[in-house]
Amino acid sequence: MKNTVTDSNHLPVLVAESISKSFGVTHALTKVDFSIQQGERVAVMGENGAGKSTLMKVFAGVHAPDSGIMSLNGDRYSPSSPIDAIASGIATVYQEPSGFGHLTVLENLFMGRQETSRFGILDSRGMAQSGRSLLDSLGIPSKLLGREMRSLSLAEQQLVLIARAVSREAKVLILDEPTSILTKSESERLFDLVDDLSNKGTAICYITHRFDELDRVADRFVVLRDGKNSGEISHPDRNKILDMMGSRTMTETKNEPVSKDAGEDVRGVSDEQLVVKGLSSSGHFSDISFKVDKGEIVGLYGLIGAGRTEVALALFGELPIDSGEIIFKGELYRPKSSQDSLSSGIAYLPEDRKIQGIFQFMNVGENTSAAMLRSLAKWGVLSRFKERTIVRDAMNAFSVKAAGTGALITSLSGGNQQKVLLARLIATRPDLLILDEPTRGIDVGTKQEIHQNIADLAKSGVAILMISSELPEILARADRIHVLHEGSIVRTLERDEATESLILEAAVGGELD
Amino acid sequence: MTTHSESVVERPSAGLDSAQKISRNLLLARRSLLPFLLVVELIVFTLSSNSFLTVGNFLNIASDATEVALIGAGMTLVILMGGIDISTGYAMGVIAWLVAYLNGVQTNPVLILVAAVAVGALVGLINGQLVAIFKIPSIVATLGMSAILQTVLFTLWDKTDIFSGPILEGLSRQSKFFGIPTLVLITVALYLVLYWVTQKTVFGRSMFAIGSNREAATLAGIRTNIVRIAAFVIVGVTVALAAVTYVGRVGVVQASTGGSITLLAIAAVVVGGTSILGGEGSVLRTLGGVAFIMILQNGVVLAGVPPLWNGLMIGVVILLAVLLDGIISRLNSDQQGSLA
Repeated sequence: MKNTVTDSNHLPVLVAESISKSFGVTHALTKVDFSIQQGERVAVMGENGAGKSTLMKVFAGVHAPDSGIMSLNGDRYSPSSPIDAIASGIATVYQEPSGFGHLTVLENLFMGRQETSRFGILDSRGMAQSGRSLLDSLGIPSKLLGREMRSLSLAEQQLVLIARAVSREAKVLILDEPTSILTKSESERLFDLVDDLSNKGTAICYITHRFDELDRVADRFVVLRDGKNSGEISHPDRNKILDMMGSRTMTETKNEPVSKDAGEDVRGVSDEQLVVKGLSSSGHFSDISFKVDKGEIVGLYGLIGAGRTEVALALFGELPIDSGEIIFKGELYRPKSSQDSLSSGIAYLPEDRKIQGIFQFMNVGENTSAAMLRSLAKWGVLSRFKERTIVRDAMNAFSVKAAGTGALITSLSGGNQQKVLLARLIATRPDLLILDEPTRGIDVGTKQEIHQNIADLAKSGVAILMISSELPEILARADRIHVLHEGSIVRTLERDEATESLILEAAVGGELD
Repeated sequence: MTTHSESVVERPSAGLDSAQKISRNLLLARRSLLPFLLVVELIVFTLSSNSFLTVGNFLNIASDATEVALIGAGMTLVILMGGIDISTGYAMGVIAWLVAYLNGVQTNPVLILVAAVAVGALVGLINGQLVAIFKIPSIVATLGMSAILQTVLFTLWDKTDIFSGPILEGLSRQSKFFGIPTLVLITVALYLVLYWVTQKTVFGRSMFAIGSNREAATLAGIRTNIVRIAAFVIVGVTVALAAVTYVGRVGVVQASTGGSITLLAIAAVVVGGTSILGGEGSVLRTLGGVAFIMILQNGVVLAGVPPLWNGLMIGVVILLAVLLDGIISRLNSDQQGSLA
């Protein structure tokens, strides 16, 4: 797979060979090869954590590779910064629009390279003119120029950012899941723009998770798995790509009965562990209703900003609730704080491991016991003996790979850190477990282990609410899926009726066809 | 393609190893900063003055260190949680004035002690509320408090220095217990208690967790607000104790009393090796920092160096320690990266 056959009509623009990049103990990229030709459209595929984004960030000058070599149009390419990369002709548009919300579209277009007249005074008229012709050439309505960026729809912002990227004469345009927040017709508009650019000779690197758009966006599909090249293919064969991604095993387990049976033999009492009725929190979500039975895994899917995490935080007592009711274990429940929820039997695995989860200066043992300190203490004094026992049990239950309980948490791989966080929650013996992106940024092997852990927990009777933006994960693991859009549940799908496209359509706000 | 393949240069994962090595070396530098400074200091001052290396002088240093040490102990807790308290100096001044005044009107020593601790705890409580409940950055909240207390002290002082003996005989500079100054014993006792609290209690563990990652601490069910307020209250109590020993040791309260002590206490904490960014450190390390700073103050005077140089050296040492903290933490977070 190392040497791609080069079409004699096309020149390779960007060539990367044997790129490796590590973050501490995590090998994000190991000897990855990649090349793209003028006007070519290449889709880069892989599970979350497979290294796609890291590779793109190496191209974009965000990360310097530990080893390996890159060339751009035949010259050695080693960008020292994102600015350097842009100047060399590599432009990136990230998944979520990252413009300057309070500035106008025009100001956004020229940010960092304003045109000036003599004495360094901004040449507003000149910029307005070139801005208008830029947007015209891309088929974007030029009346947007004077609007504030934040007043635009996400799709319009995305288009403006692409315009900004190409206005710098990009040789390579990197698009990181640009359609994940767009509706179907908005996506079509973006595809047209991309086609146009590629016809003009810009090479397009396209990261996506969506199989339904594959044949529309790329001529070649490069697959990464656990930071390594795992193959490439020139037509979007779904099964072959899934095989290369290592996702097949996960999708295939779909038919395995996950749970259910466990809940039923719990003494004939009602199965309902959590019932949420008409829950609202102004500015975050409204009229949310669903239930989770004992031993059931309920999935919550939605795009960023749809309110998934907010629902979880409200159940956990960390976001105020305006109206609606929660019935937990058969009783009316009003969460007051995270302490309250944990002692009532609700545990929450936060979305961002590094920012909301781990204590980076503490060791593995201290990280594991953090949520149950008070039950390890008498008169406020910790019992080291009790702590050690419980920590060891919890670490064994999740087969955490660490040098010992005294090892620093940061010496563990992302997957093992996540296991520690799960162990932290399970040690509190929860009846309801809320998992927010439980396998984000984790290698395929550990991901499967964690999925198994989750299934086992469900089997033991724990009710599980799983938030995930990974479709294969939620399709394979959830008994029922609620799709959120702008703070409301817009669709509920049972396990056997759920498909990728049904979920996505609902998540971007309808457009059922 | 093939032409490019030939130009591949193998740099076998050198990047990771060297990054780790740099980070480890920096950490080593940070850890050995204090022992190194102490040794240099002892050698230089021993050579420059005959009266430096004597038992008497070291007992002097230990007594002089009392207030910096007491406040530094409390300050360590706040800094461990990623905060800071710069109101301690004038808080000590105000409380010292109160102690001297009450002692002057023949108040019962126990009552004086209770009053001092109550005022100190109240100041800490207000600071803690401002920081934890009203979400004001601790440096700003306590800066405001400091300005208020400075004015309070100036008003109370009213152009009259107030003289007072120790409230108890045991708190005087000369008082000894089995040959060791009582002030030193009080200091050591406070350090042992706070060390035990930080290492063995839920409260102590919670402080480390908050300093390491406040959001994660909240989500792990730790009562972050209560713990943070409590830490400021503890600082207030150590300030009150310092005010009582100050009156006993120095015997006079002026408008400027306490003004310079905050800087010395913070210096002791960060030079001792507690990270100004929170999460890492120990109360006992601060004791080492106190030793460095008080020996510096003493040695400079004995060597006949203008005291101006004192501030310069303390400033440089604080900046150096904080600089190392910053670089180490940046390297660490670089290595963890983000794999989203």
